[in-house]
Amino acid sequence: MELNSVEGKPIYVQIAEWLEEEILRGHIKEHEKIYSQYQLAEMFNINPATAAKGINILADQGILYKKRGLGMFLSPEAKEKIRDKRKNHTLKRLVEEVVVEARLLGVSEAELLSMIRDAGKVFDEHEGIEGG
Amino acid sequence: MDVISCQELTKTFGRVRALNNITFTIGQNRITGLIGPNGAGKTTLLKIIAGFLRASSGEVRVFSEDPFNNLKVAANMIFIDDQMRFPTSLTLSEILASAAAFYENWDMELARRLFDYFSLDPEQYHHKLSKGMKSTFNMIIGLAARCPLTIFDEPTTGMDAGVRKDYYRALLRDYLQKPRTIIISSHLLNEIEDILEDIFLLSGGEKRLQTPVSDLKEFAVALRGRREVIDKLTAGQEIYYQKSVGKDHSYVVIRRDAAEGLLKKAGRDGLEVFPVKADDLCVYLTSRKRGGIDSVFDRY
Repeated sequence: MELNSVEGKPIYVQIAEWLEEEILRGHIKEHEKIYSQYQLAEMFNINPATAAKGINILADQGILYKKRGLGMFLSPEAKEKIRDKRKNHTLKRLVEEVVVEARLLGVSEAELLSMIRDAGKVFDEHEGIEGG
Repeated sequence: MDVISCQELTKTFGRVRALNNITFTIGQNRITGLIGPNGAGKTTLLKIIAGFLRASSGEVRVFSEDPFNNLKVAANMIFIDDQMRFPTSLTLSEILASAAAFYENWDMELARRLFDYFSLDPEQYHHKLSKGMKSTFNMIIGLAARCPLTIFDEPTTGMDAGVRKDYYRALLRDYLQKPRTIIISSHLLNEIEDILEDIFLLSGGEKRLQTPVSDLKEFAVALRGRREVIDKLTAGQEIYYQKSVGKDHSYVVIRRDAAEGLLKKAGRDGLEVFPVKADDLCVYLTSRKRGGIDSVFDRY
């Protein structure tokens, strides 16, 4: 992943979000050790203190837990927590934006729903190719 | 532990006050970016820390000692800039060998590998190198010395974009392997922003800001909307930057913590809220005039 420094989103927030996506995709298992601040620093070409700040966001939310002297590990309820958080915040906000834009353009609810369905189909096909 | 501490540091050259009453500390093993426009006093400050210049007044401590004419500081510190002079009779590889003799932690293998990577000729002479190649060679000396305090003053002068990128990556990777206190000065923040932990903003010889880089992005916020609404809301607040947009709109940059209340009702007041990029903020905080260069031309 390339970091985006043009938009206003701080780097450490982008690191936290990237880790969340890794977790959601199942690339990190329950009770497994996650990347250290130094590994993240090297991967993303950022200062390790910035990487640590990203990790700490997830630790504060109980998505990661700390083992003294060993590092950060994935909580069993991590996926659940990330899903809840993203659904209630990120997705909700995106839906609101979509609705506002649709209203502005005079797109009806039925039309909007069919657009969402079409986008879903394209996504499923794409995933099918990737998965196969 | 603090590697550097300055108390009310002032430096004057004749009647010119290059640094005015600066107080700060820099902790161990942090990468700090010293950012400021031309003539801000960056080089003077770094040379005082390095022990090349003596402060006019105030106290400077590096490794808990006065750095001026100090052998302990000289042995544990390296200062890299584009004015570095080496004996003209020595080849580049002979320069490396003498640096190896002086610096305790010198890593010759790293120096050789960087030499190969950047295609430097060991039999070449320093004064025959192009500007960019000189900077590249100086950078290799600065990294391979692995000094507990490493200072780079405008290190990328003359380097092309590819080499600059490699340099920042090399600096970060070497720092991850061997953490040490590093200061890099630059008038551009955006290139080095990601690898910094702290930023020290200097302008007109005064300290403007010293903060973790991650806080800088949230330090200020920009508002855009109808001029009378903006003027009313931001009355009495410190405005970092202001410009007119179209006929009756304006764009202002203010402190985020002062704006919390405003932000909540910004939508209702018809205001748009934008984040402020860290390097833009640095320019605003150090610029000569609030309206920027436009203020020169907007006479009517």
